[in-house]
Amino acid sequence: MRRLLLATSAVVLLLILVVSTRSINPAAPGDSQAVHQAGVQDNTSLRTLQARYKTLSKQLSQLMPREPYILVDTARNRLYVKRHDEVVLNAIASTGSGTILDKPGESKSQWIFDTPRGEFLVKTKLANPTWIKPDWAFIEEGLAVPQNAAERAEQGVLGDYALGFGKGYFIHGTLYTRLLGKNVTHGCIRLNDSDLKGVYQLARVGTPIMIF
Amino acid sequence: MMKLCAILILFVFTTPSWGKDFEAFPDLQLSDVQGLKEATRVLEEELKLAARPQTYVLIDLVGSTIQIKGRGIGLHQIPIIRWSSESRNELKGIHKLVARPSVVRRKIDPGAAGEQEPISLADMPADYVLSCSPSMTIAVVPSTAGETLLRGAAILGKSWWHHVQHWASSLFTDTPSTPTPHLQLTIAADHAQSLAWSLVDGMSIVIRRPTDK
Repeated sequence: MRRLLLATSAVVLLLILVVSTRSINPAAPGDSQAVHQAGVQDNTSLRTLQARYKTLSKQLSQLMPREPYILVDTARNRLYVKRHDEVVLNAIASTGSGTILDKPGESKSQWIFDTPRGEFLVKTKLANPTWIKPDWAFIEEGLAVPQNAAERAEQGVLGDYALGFGKGYFIHGTLYTRLLGKNVTHGCIRLNDSDLKGVYQLARVGTPIMIF
Repeated sequence: MMKLCAILILFVFTTPSWGKDFEAFPDLQLSDVQGLKEATRVLEEELKLAARPQTYVLIDLVGSTIQIKGRGIGLHQIPIIRWSSESRNELKGIHKLVARPSVVRRKIDPGAAGEQEPISLADMPADYVLSCSPSMTIAVVPSTAGETLLRGAAILGKSWWHHVQHWASSLFTDTPSTPTPHLQLTIAADHAQSLAWSLVDGMSIVIRRPTDK
């Protein structure tokens, strides 16, 4: 009787084992191998893609400026100094008016007073800058362009500092603070005295300027 | 020893962002193979653009945003309300904007008294088509708060006109019909004007497309 009980238990156990094995892995032995291989391949390609995505994300982050950079929104006339995502300085600016002025004697040539868009670098940092008035400054006022270079120099109109970013464009101060927040300049970026001082202190030669 | 352990524990729990990896698309599901393939393709294109001193546009149809970017940084972001395209597969690669939307500029009258009126965002168009090279067009359509049936009909009409133009040109040129890839973006009117303002001739555009799961 005892032997019969033992044998029955053994058979039941064996049956349970067989049934559970089949329910865990219901496919035939050949199919099971194929599914397993496909699964492994899927996992491998997924892992490869994930690794590639992370590598590319990292490469992109390495192109981002590590030091403070200047951001200029010409539509809303705002200048920011940012470090990563943090806004270090937020200033109301004046940027290009977008107006045009015909060049005298050149029928199809004209000046367009836009602030340039794109990425630039601070190329020069000047204290107590002197404005060397370009030709358009005289023509706009209906005056003759002087032959003597000394007649172009004007002191005090650019504020205490000027940061040049190429082709004659500067971030500088202004006497017309009531026009800050408006598109009124000939392409330069104007700030009030305290913001200009802040930008001058935060930026160095080589600081990126992003303008959109 | 206890103090050292406390400092270590504090350090681990108070500096979570230090160890965090930068992710270009935080909305991306890392288990989505097709989404990963598209994200890596876009990143490969973007890396080429971000390596140079320039601003570029990323139209993210998955995240529903238009981003003005430079060096991988998002400089300005515009939400997309709706988009449609019948040529989704063709919207890959780097496209260059042929010309920014035109704006009527005011001319300065030399010597004239008084201030000259500058151009402003309000002068920018809100409804325009951007032509790109290689051949692709992007229609920017403004959304109005009370969008009417008439507006919907106008959008449909534009799409229909795009097809008619393509059909007509294929008739005359006697070449096999290959439609110009076309994307239509519906955004708020002031955002459309802001986008028109920020675009420059020759600007590069990359599009992140949604994938069928």
